[in-house]
Amino acid sequence: MAFLTSDPLETHNSWKAWAPALALGLLAVFGMSAAAQASAPSREYQVKAVFLFNFAQFVDWPPAVFTEESAPLAICVLGDDPFGSYLDDIVRGEQVNSRRLTVQRFRTPEEIKGCQVLFVSRSESRHLEKTLASAREMDALTVSDAEDFASRGGMIQLTMEYGKIRLKINVDAAKASSLTISSKLLRSAEIVSSRD
Amino acid sequence: MTVLGQYVSTGARTGKNAPRIESSVITRSSRPLVAACVALSCLLGTSRGSAQSTDTIPSSSELKRLSVEQLMEINVTSVSKQPEKLSEAASAIQVITNDEIRRSGATSIPEALRLAPNLEVAQVGAHTWAITARGFNSTTANKLLVLVDGRTVYTPLFSGTFWDIQDVLLEDVDRIEVISGPGGSVWGANAVNGVINIITKSAKDTQGAYAEAGGGSTPNGFGAARYGGAMGAGASFRVYGQYFDRGNEAYTNGDDATDAWRMGQGGLRFDAQPSSRDALMVKGDAYGGNEGGNLQSVSVGRSTSGGGSVTTRWTRTISETSAATLQLYYDHTQLSTPEPANQGAPSGRLKDRLDTYDLDFQHGFALGNRHRIVWGLGYRFTHDVVDNSPTLGFFPEHLDRSLVSGFAQDEISLLQTLVLTLGTKVEHNDYTGFEVEPTVRLRWSFAPAQMLWGSFSRAVRTPSRVERDVAEPTQPPIVVAGNSDFESEILVAYELGYRINVTSRFSGSIAAFYNSYDDIRSVSFTPVSIIPLFFENNMAGETHGIELSATWQATSWWRLRAGMDVLKERLHVIPGKMDLEKALNETSDPERQFSLQSSFDLPHHLELDVDPRSVDKLYINIGNGVLGTVPSYTELDVRLGWNPAGPFGLSIVGQNLLHDHHAEFGAAGPAREEMQRGVYGKVTWRF
Repeated sequence: MAFLTSDPLETHNSWKAWAPALALGLLAVFGMSAAAQASAPSREYQVKAVFLFNFAQFVDWPPAVFTEESAPLAICVLGDDPFGSYLDDIVRGEQVNSRRLTVQRFRTPEEIKGCQVLFVSRSESRHLEKTLASAREMDALTVSDAEDFASRGGMIQLTMEYGKIRLKINVDAAKASSLTISSKLLRSAEIVSSRD
Repeated sequence: MTVLGQYVSTGARTGKNAPRIESSVITRSSRPLVAACVALSCLLGTSRGSAQSTDTIPSSSELKRLSVEQLMEINVTSVSKQPEKLSEAASAIQVITNDEIRRSGATSIPEALRLAPNLEVAQVGAHTWAITARGFNSTTANKLLVLVDGRTVYTPLFSGTFWDIQDVLLEDVDRIEVISGPGGSVWGANAVNGVINIITKSAKDTQGAYAEAGGGSTPNGFGAARYGGAMGAGASFRVYGQYFDRGNEAYTNGDDATDAWRMGQGGLRFDAQPSSRDALMVKGDAYGGNEGGNLQSVSVGRSTSGGGSVTTRWTRTISETSAATLQLYYDHTQLSTPEPANQGAPSGRLKDRLDTYDLDFQHGFALGNRHRIVWGLGYRFTHDVVDNSPTLGFFPEHLDRSLVSGFAQDEISLLQTLVLTLGTKVEHNDYTGFEVEPTVRLRWSFAPAQMLWGSFSRAVRTPSRVERDVAEPTQPPIVVAGNSDFESEILVAYELGYRINVTSRFSGSIAAFYNSYDDIRSVSFTPVSIIPLFFENNMAGETHGIELSATWQATSWWRLRAGMDVLKERLHVIPGKMDLEKALNETSDPERQFSLQSSFDLPHHLELDVDPRSVDKLYINIGNGVLGTVPSYTELDVRLGWNPAGPFGLSIVGQNLLHDHHAEFGAAGPAREEMQRGVYGKVTWRF
């Protein structure tokens, strides 16, 4: 019977199918032109920028911090800006509780005003006390990736652990500014307190 | 029934519960529990980022879609990106998150898999499922590879997964990645139509106490507890235990199918960073279970299962652009299933004990600016011991098998937006010798947040013990016998896909495929004497289809996920050869399926989820190549949850609400089981 004498090997002809696909692949490779890409911050700061955007959604501010009903929610960067235009791209067109998001940049602690989220660049860790004092006046959520930020009275510290970003949150510092941090965020964070 | 030979002796039979040949041979109509595990290249499966797999640097809109937990999983250093990014950047990947599982009300892995729009999931009974991607579905589907934390859960009995011994604490699942399409170039043989990676959270991310308890009509009852703690110096652990009793399903006439499934499992996981360059993971689980079986709507007693596994994984960062991983696991699986008298042979029990030892090494590094190389080596040894029953067995009863494999992949950045991936796996198995599974993939990020990709791959499904070693019954006259000439089944696949993430509010994907299969399993008879029947590779054919998925955050409180698949299958007997089943035995697939998950965040911490799904009619071989059907169905799951910030949470879940009972799989008749409407409540507590 024919079906018993058949050689399974004669059906192994599927390699023929490779030729047209390879040709297609090569065509695709050579047929396409380069597209330039704008210079972007490092992957680390891209992700940190998205964290800032997330913080704006997971924190409740006392209503008094906004001058009016439709006032935007400001994410501020103090000191050397590691995000570049990427942070602006992240918040563009986004709203939190019907508030537009804006990005502002300041060089010195004295200049900062109207911030709801304040990212303190590592370059500013020397005058941290002064910075935190100004932030407290406007009940801003303070965020930094500077060493010991949370234990020195900052609210959210971004740390690195084996290539991944981790959060340290000083809940007492947030409470002092009447900020409520969502349990969703707290659940993912290590809770720390100020070091006296 | 369940016995292939009856097809011959009595002609076409209808109304059988497990008409398909492979089901009949292995599962009888009762499903044995068991499982086995074998694995390879597992490392790759465990470390992939979820939504950011499209490019080296995910777009801002992709990043914004991620939850805080997901953002914390992204490796932001170039180092770990290396081994992280293997093949399926350019592939049809769907990711099910922890939150999506929680909100779906799923209580088992197969139920959670219904959330992957690129899978076919059909429930056959309380403990039996048919799950596949891109066709070829059956209760012993053999073209889908499943990994749990890098350990392949695979039985060499039929080259598939025993779903009734796979369990995890769903609360601790980080995500489930489901890739439809071939993954052989990385995962090796049997990753033919798809790969499922079930990835649990690091012990670091499951700190504190968690407990849940609940019950209702289905499942009858369940409970779980977990505790996670820190051990200092970057080390943490968790221990957990859980138990469930999934009650009986019913026959078409509403009678109890006496197939209740009960299972308990416990385990621990330890994660540590002994140095800034090293990460260590050790994980162990053990389980035991039992389930009711039936034959022609008569109870045949209970199957039992038990087993456990230990996995260790060590990852070292060698330099800024180079990292290596070493993984070792051991898995023990045993089952005992009742085999009623048949073919003149007396009743007995079929027992199987499988030990799997698996060692994997993987190294990824950058070569210049354009090349990223990943290569690896693997070795697996399996020791399988079967205690044959009079009606069903495998010869030899003791079988040792070795699998040696190596793979290499080069990801070449041709342009900043255009990446070509070339890779292949080469492995040697004791059945068919060397198998080569190459792939060519191209992805083009032609616009912000949009990507086109295409691929071309070859994958194989290597023989299992059913095709090679089976004997049914074990004493002459043998009706079904193993065939030592059974070869690997072969797939050559072409894929084309498009993915878009417009804003944080909308993302979508389309994947189209054309699969060309050869040497697909068929059934032959022996000239003159007719029996024994045996398997050959006499089928070939094509399938093609489209998979669509979309996620839309319509408002801040309303999120929609939708998926739709279309599948066309054309299998035929190779001219001049024969198949007793007329090329109908390997496929039982709906041509279309649709699913929607609609999630509402209501005031007062209430969550409402409304999840309808619709599955087209499917055709199923009821014996001797006679086609039966499973009617199309539409069903609805609804969950109402209360999830305040405090320690307690409550939910009530209704499953399959639209009908008293509906069939999802199997040939029509009084012995086909149908899935009943079920409602359960659940309380969670965390501290």
